[in-house]
Amino acid sequence: MGEILGRVVATERRPNTPHQFHFWTALDSPVGIGTIVRVEGTIPVAGHLPRIFGVVVEGLSYSDLETPLHDVLGSDGEPGRADEAPTRRTEIRLYTAAVLRHVPDDPLQPVPLGAVYLASEADVAVALRMDAYLTPGANTGIPIGLYRAGATASPIYLDADFLVGPEAAHLNITGVSGLATKTSAVEWLLGSIFAHFPAKKGSVAALCFNVKGPDLCFLDQPATRLDAADLELYARLGVPAEPFANVEYFAPYTARGYSLNTLRSHESLSHNVRPLTWGLREVLQYAEVLLNKDDVDAKADALIDFIRERVVDQDFTDAMLGGPHRVQSFTDLERWFREVLRAMEEKNQEAWRTHHVATIRKVRNRLTNISTRCRGLVTDDGTVSDLPWGAFRDRGVYVVDVANLEEDAQDLIFARVVTQLRERLEKRTLGVDHVVVFVDELNKYAPSDGPDTYVRKMLLDVAERGRYLGLVLFAAQQFRSQVHRRVVGNSGTALFGRMDADELATPGYATLALATRTKLSTLDKGELMVRHPHFTQPVFVRFPRPAVLSGREGVERFPQAEEPTLEQAVARALRPLDRTITLDWVKETIALADEDEVLRARNRTLQVRPDDVQAYFRSQLKRRVAAEQIAARTRPAIRTAPGDDPYAF
Amino acid sequence: MLEGVRIEARVIPGEPVVAFGGFLDGIQRSVVASYLHVTIPVVHGTTAAAVRSRQDRTLHTWGRGPLVERALFLPAALAGRDVMAALGTAGIATYDTISADDAVTGRHPIELIGLARQAVQGRREQAEEQLAAEWCRAERTPLYVDGGIGGFADASRSPHAVGVVKSHHTLYVAAEAVATVAALTAGQRTSAFVVATRKRTRVASWYLRLRDTGDPLGGLVRIEVAEAGFDAARADLVSRWVLAEREPVALPDPRWQVMAYGIRDCEEYLRAVAG
Repeated sequence: MGEILGRVVATERRPNTPHQFHFWTALDSPVGIGTIVRVEGTIPVAGHLPRIFGVVVEGLSYSDLETPLHDVLGSDGEPGRADEAPTRRTEIRLYTAAVLRHVPDDPLQPVPLGAVYLASEADVAVALRMDAYLTPGANTGIPIGLYRAGATASPIYLDADFLVGPEAAHLNITGVSGLATKTSAVEWLLGSIFAHFPAKKGSVAALCFNVKGPDLCFLDQPATRLDAADLELYARLGVPAEPFANVEYFAPYTARGYSLNTLRSHESLSHNVRPLTWGLREVLQYAEVLLNKDDVDAKADALIDFIRERVVDQDFTDAMLGGPHRVQSFTDLERWFREVLRAMEEKNQEAWRTHHVATIRKVRNRLTNISTRCRGLVTDDGTVSDLPWGAFRDRGVYVVDVANLEEDAQDLIFARVVTQLRERLEKRTLGVDHVVVFVDELNKYAPSDGPDTYVRKMLLDVAERGRYLGLVLFAAQQFRSQVHRRVVGNSGTALFGRMDADELATPGYATLALATRTKLSTLDKGELMVRHPHFTQPVFVRFPRPAVLSGREGVERFPQAEEPTLEQAVARALRPLDRTITLDWVKETIALADEDEVLRARNRTLQVRPDDVQAYFRSQLKRRVAAEQIAARTRPAIRTAPGDDPYAF
Repeated sequence: MLEGVRIEARVIPGEPVVAFGGFLDGIQRSVVASYLHVTIPVVHGTTAAAVRSRQDRTLHTWGRGPLVERALFLPAALAGRDVMAALGTAGIATYDTISADDAVTGRHPIELIGLARQAVQGRREQAEEQLAAEWCRAERTPLYVDGGIGGFADASRSPHAVGVVKSHHTLYVAAEAVATVAALTAGQRTSAFVVATRKRTRVASWYLRLRDTGDPLGGLVRIEVAEAGFDAARADLVSRWVLAEREPVALPDPRWQVMAYGIRDCEEYLRAVAG
């Protein structure tokens, strides 16, 4: 039963209720805010001695003085004298605990007077109702961290059914930046999910959007700062302290097109970094993302639909336009627009197929402008290098690096990637059964106020319906109060790292006791407060440092490659496909080709990934006739005039 | 007189010294529970006494805990044999408050209540005496007793019991010495004298000013120690022990000027356990 830690106390002014009770302890007890305790009732109710579990949410300390002034007077105004007094003044530690669980659950009565014990590991499991999902043979527990109080160190598990679905889903993390809370917690939790996700629930992968700096750029590299305490935590929680085994990176090109727009550009890490480029077909479906309501009125929308359904990727014929058009790229689209407008001018028409010339010009301007606005991501020529749709691997991590992209490109990537995930999970054609999507800076993408953007609507949709599909949103932000309520409200699990005091003062935290809020504002690195559907009250846990290289260390260890020349860029891009490719070979091969042609050839080679990379790459360049040495023709000598020719000059 | 020939003010040499290992106090409460035969009061009395011992500057209940007693106090002869028998059968502790000779009918109810209260007080003093005796047998550190020790049979002869009297309804000095007592300043004591009454053990005693308050009797206590082995040096040493207990101040108790914190703690403890 353990040593008695305290005793429940109740007065008329401070009574106990079914959901809250008070107890006092010795001054040296290990109780603190967040400590889980057990109360043993002494009077049987319906034949059972009640046991109540609670978590400490408030603490009070006071002495037998009526006013602080008495202490001042008693010490003659000298603070040090109190310590010199032969007797310590009587002092009380009075705690308030929120009830976690009554055993038995019924009848629900106020907490009785009784002895208070520190909860043991078994008590913690019962208190947090983890016993319901940690049963042998039906264990769906995912370790989130270790709860510690006094001599108790108890692993805390989340229920996979409520973290990844289908009962509930999604995770929201809040914490101030720079204290290694949000990204670290997600890296740790993904590792825990991969280690403990029950096999009978199917496969799971993660797709992470790297939205700032090098945060997620080194998930496949081992950590360098794991200490003995971290390793003990890993061992205790049954998670291997290793980096992720299957990680693939995707990043668009820079605007210049030579290198990928990512901080993971060190050549030794290029083997699993792929370009992310889309053509007209991939982008047109999400034109709404990039075009605001002023751009796309009903008329423009109708024309875009017409182009999407009747023009793109098919032979389009029109009596006015002459021969058939096949639009597969932005270049083709521009050509098609030009032809339509030219024909209208020739025939002096103001409308074509009910579309007014002004609408056509406007849509042409907005659509063809996309490849400029999202240069590096959207290609004019239709080259596509995409995520491995249909071939996602179990326990695979796919990182899409959008950190250095313009907002338009970021929005387009979010919209298309998440929509693809949703559609493919619905059709069961993604390759895995569940995908965890991690989005940081959620207050930017799903703000509580501001315009109703496509990205926000999409995130709301995922939050509200994703769990049925296996699409799980792990989202992080510094200010939870600034995120749309329906997104955070649909997150079954919430983690809180160290919080900003201003954020804690917002109404969303009013349900937390003042002491709990104070603890939240002073949490150490590696400490979290966890809310989970099974836990009737939040619980504090400690988690280890992630087993992957941090972004900051990663950029020091793998510094960013300098902006390459065209030849270097091609060599670097193709070398992962063919290790024999040298810079000299590239120089020789592209010597006569222009830049656009070379980049196009590189992109197509990366897209096709042929067996003979060199031959394929060469075949994508225009053939040029080699220069020939032409022998000089001997010209007949000019006949000189006879010396006696009188007309000679 | 134990020092000199008249009461004089003496400066105590040396700094206060922490020496007390325990603090003894008792409480009592009495309420009229009912009246028998219309005029005979039945008083319910509660008494409690405890020693709070000091270890590492923290006070704990010493020995076998507090002595708490609840009983009815009534004049048995006036209550009647039947009533006393019924109370005895019910297992209710009773104490007779009047001797058979004085049990004449027609006694004033208030007088009878006063007798009952004296009986309650007697029980409290007995509990205190018992604890003081146990302490003096078992411990080797001085015991701070709230009140005089002359009424204690054993402890009043022990070098380990120090009585500290806070109230001064009676001044144990001659009229010409009252001014000397009243003029004591903080840290001064009077010369020692003997307190001897018919029912009490002879003890050595002196007045000690704990605090300057402007009130002639404010901050003034009277110390009682065993007469045996007494000398001036002991009076100085015991005075230094008592002076050391001025802190922490026993606020918010209104008697804080003369009350040691250990005694306040003991009273609070007894109120908590005796109800």
